[in-house]
Amino acid sequence: MSAQSIASRLNILIPRQKLPLRSPVVALIAVFCACAALAQALETQIFDPATRTWVTYDPRQAVKYYRAHGQAPEEFQRRIVDFRTAEKPGTIIIDGDKHFLYYVLPDFQAIRYGIGVGKDGFGWAGIVKVGRKQEWPTWTPPAEMIERDPKAAQYKDGMPGGPENPLGARALYLYEGNQDTIYRIHGTNQPWSIGLNISSGCIRMNNDDVTDLYNRVEIGAKVIVLMQGAALYRGV
Amino acid sequence: MKSILSTAVQATVFSCFLAFSPSAQAEKLVIGVPAWPSAKVTANIIAMSVRDTLGIETDLQEQGTLTILGEIGSGDIDVHPEIWLPNLSQIVERMSGNEGSLRLSPNGVNATQNICVTKSTAADTGIKAVADLTNPDIAVKFDSDGDGKGEIWIGAKTWSSTEIEMIRAHSYGYHRTMNLLEMPEDVAMAAVDAAVATGRPVVFYCYGPHHVFELHDIVKLEEPAYDAARWNIVKRADDPQWLEKSRADTAWDGSHFHIGYAAHLERDMPGVAKFLNRISFEPSDTTAMSYAVVVEGKSPQDVAQSWIEANGDRIEEWMK
Repeated sequence: MSAQSIASRLNILIPRQKLPLRSPVVALIAVFCACAALAQALETQIFDPATRTWVTYDPRQAVKYYRAHGQAPEEFQRRIVDFRTAEKPGTIIIDGDKHFLYYVLPDFQAIRYGIGVGKDGFGWAGIVKVGRKQEWPTWTPPAEMIERDPKAAQYKDGMPGGPENPLGARALYLYEGNQDTIYRIHGTNQPWSIGLNISSGCIRMNNDDVTDLYNRVEIGAKVIVLMQGAALYRGV
Repeated sequence: MKSILSTAVQATVFSCFLAFSPSAQAEKLVIGVPAWPSAKVTANIIAMSVRDTLGIETDLQEQGTLTILGEIGSGDIDVHPEIWLPNLSQIVERMSGNEGSLRLSPNGVNATQNICVTKSTAADTGIKAVADLTNPDIAVKFDSDGDGKGEIWIGAKTWSSTEIEMIRAHSYGYHRTMNLLEMPEDVAMAAVDAAVATGRPVVFYCYGPHHVFELHDIVKLEEPAYDAARWNIVKRADDPQWLEKSRADTAWDGSHFHIGYAAHLERDMPGVAKFLNRISFEPSDTTAMSYAVVVEGKSPQDVAQSWIEANGDRIEEWMK
């Protein structure tokens, strides 16, 4: 099946859990957050109901889809869903396996956003809180990236916020107690990457969605990061 | 499970009991308040009832369950609203008896400990029994990371029940087909919520009374009835070979929890002691208390007040 034919059906497809690394897609520009290391691409598989087969939704196809439609597949678009939970309204629940972030609403509903996560998932699971919020955050490349990439080196003192900044329009800084975990929920300058596992560590949302979330969430809000595979679950 | 014990901790706490002599608190009833919602509501029901009906001043003190037991031993706290058994059996046995500092209400609330799935999981995967988890074809349906093994939440790291669930997994043999995951309860319950929302299979340790049974359609997996001959638990703290020496491949024994109180109340506040002995909750009471606090976001005080207003006849009966 061609990438184009896959893309044409993506608006009715649903994502499957992440699968093991098959091959890196070196042509892609990776999205980094402050804690990011070298980016690699993993493949998300998506069920095609027309052929009843799982087909690859990798970054190459994601880019094509985004160019064709100007947005991520329907499954990853912001929507209100039924969500029965004991968590209080205002809580954020991150489901890296499905590439969803839930913002809990009253009456057993939630706003579901599509997200992109790291190549190995979020890196950990547990309970943190929103410790700080920032509009158009500054991005500082990690030291190893500065050493490796001269283009990144020019931002060693920080890249000002703006459309080209990999952290996108907003960032929510996740704290454990009063300690910054170095993990963030942030926007992106590469919205095609929603639904994929690339880069590492942080949670990416498209800029409209992260702005919507930013406007709703309060400092101190509880953030529950779910397991994304047993290894991460056990590692906490 | 709520009670978090190791033998070493039990021994330390018990030795603390011996270091203090109980002192009567004839003027005020001090009620310990453990961290979980149904216990908080029960503590408030006791406090409000004793204050309003018997005219005795009360004081609520939020403490961990072991600390409350320790302070009952030392005479600083008078009541523990929810002592779980068999999880706290060893320490309760040490504190009870004619010369002991603790009395347990004879009326326990029946509790359950099982392995659970959602109703849709049972339908989609065909799983019916705990032993089905040893079947690789079933187990792989719970695989969330593509390694060919399923994932099962067995409890929080610090729970005494988690150690036993690990023993059960090894005794049944599904430790070979399933990854045994330990995580805080909030994370595990949110994972159940997300699994329900997206139609994914999920299997997890469950205990009741618990609000998850109100929130979702939950199915308890079948297993052989409790058999003491097949239930031998060696604690991790007691023996490095605890896992190899233990066996538990049947259902849990019946669990239950009771109100506990300082023995000196029988002498100093006999009316209170009689009342505490006669309180008799149903599991549905406890589930409703938990649900009202956790899911509906009501304060334990408000839930207790509402419960008293709706159950005045029961309170009156217990006060006779």
